Amino acid sequence: MRHRARWIALAAGLVVTVLAVVLATQVGTDPRADVNKSHLLGENAPAFDLPTLDGSHVRSTDLAGKTVIVNFWNSWCLPCQQEHPALVEFYRRHASDPAFAMVGIVRDDTESAVRGYVSDEGVPYTVAFDPGANASLDFGTRGQPETYAITPDGVITGTQFGPSTVAQLEAMYRAARGPS
Amino acid sequence: MTRRGVAWLVLGAVVVITLAIVAWPRGGSPSDAERVRSVSSELRCPDCESQSIAQSSTDVARAARDDIRRRVAAGQSDAEIRQAYIDKFGPSILLKPESGGLGILVWGLPAAALVLGAAGLVLALRRWRREPHLHATEADRELVQRARP
Repeated sequence: MRHRARWIALAAGLVVTVLAVVLATQVGTDPRADVNKSHLLGENAPAFDLPTLDGSHVRSTDLAGKTVIVNFWNSWCLPCQQEHPALVEFYRRHASDPAFAMVGIVRDDTESAVRGYVSDEGVPYTVAFDPGANASLDFGTRGQPETYAITPDGVITGTQFGPSTVAQLEAMYRAARGPS
Repeated sequence: MTRRGVAWLVLGAVVVITLAIVAWPRGGSPSDAERVRSVSSELRCPDCESQSIAQSSTDVARAARDDIRRRVAAGQSDAEIRQAYIDKFGPSILLKPESGGLGILVWGLPAAALVLGAAGLVLALRRWRREPHLHATEADRELVQRARP
């Protein structure tokens, strides 16, 4: 009887020790840390074919051979509004480069709200809608703003979750474009 | 067999039957709609907190449900669909921890603690039962009488 109690105490001690080791090794690590990074880095960018604000379409196949910046945004998100001047400034710097393209994909918003925002604030690059949210899903977005840099051969080399600065956009762009 | 033995036997039978009912595989394979519901309820809605893709009404959750429906129709297994979402969003897309690797501790430790606790309780109860029942002696009663005001 006494031996059995000893075995049980030993097993309980073992469980507590294992639990303590697990807790000690996991303290400080966020189990949802991957929420803030894209798992598509280094992967081919998802294909898309989306209607644009001006009534045409933007297709990923048409952008092949260009360094592409894709920004998911909408009119009601405050971080998107904060980010907006940086996106415009970055775009103006590179707009004349024929090997550069930039697309703002609207995520979770209405067309009328987007038209109002574009009219008020000015968005000089292509604005595309994502009916059915398939592009938002394919890019693995978790919200907005999210920005992706895509190489001329279609690989995602940079992502930014949350508002980007001009410097961050430039760094992502340079990395995606490669040495010029 | 003693009455206590019968009681233990009945208790054991109830536990075994309950576990068998819970764990026994259901007859027939689930329909496509059931599989879509099942897989989408295991995946976290990417753009909301603590809701599954099955529960959420966001555009992305709706797109994910359609995507899972297409994958099921295309013949992908539940594991393949889950893996496709892990590849895209990372392991945090799973609402339940994985049953392999470190995740096994999450499932195993509570079960081990439960078994050990139950074993300890059984041992303690048996030990208490074996302790002799004490009866008040005449000297005890006198002591109590004297202590009374």
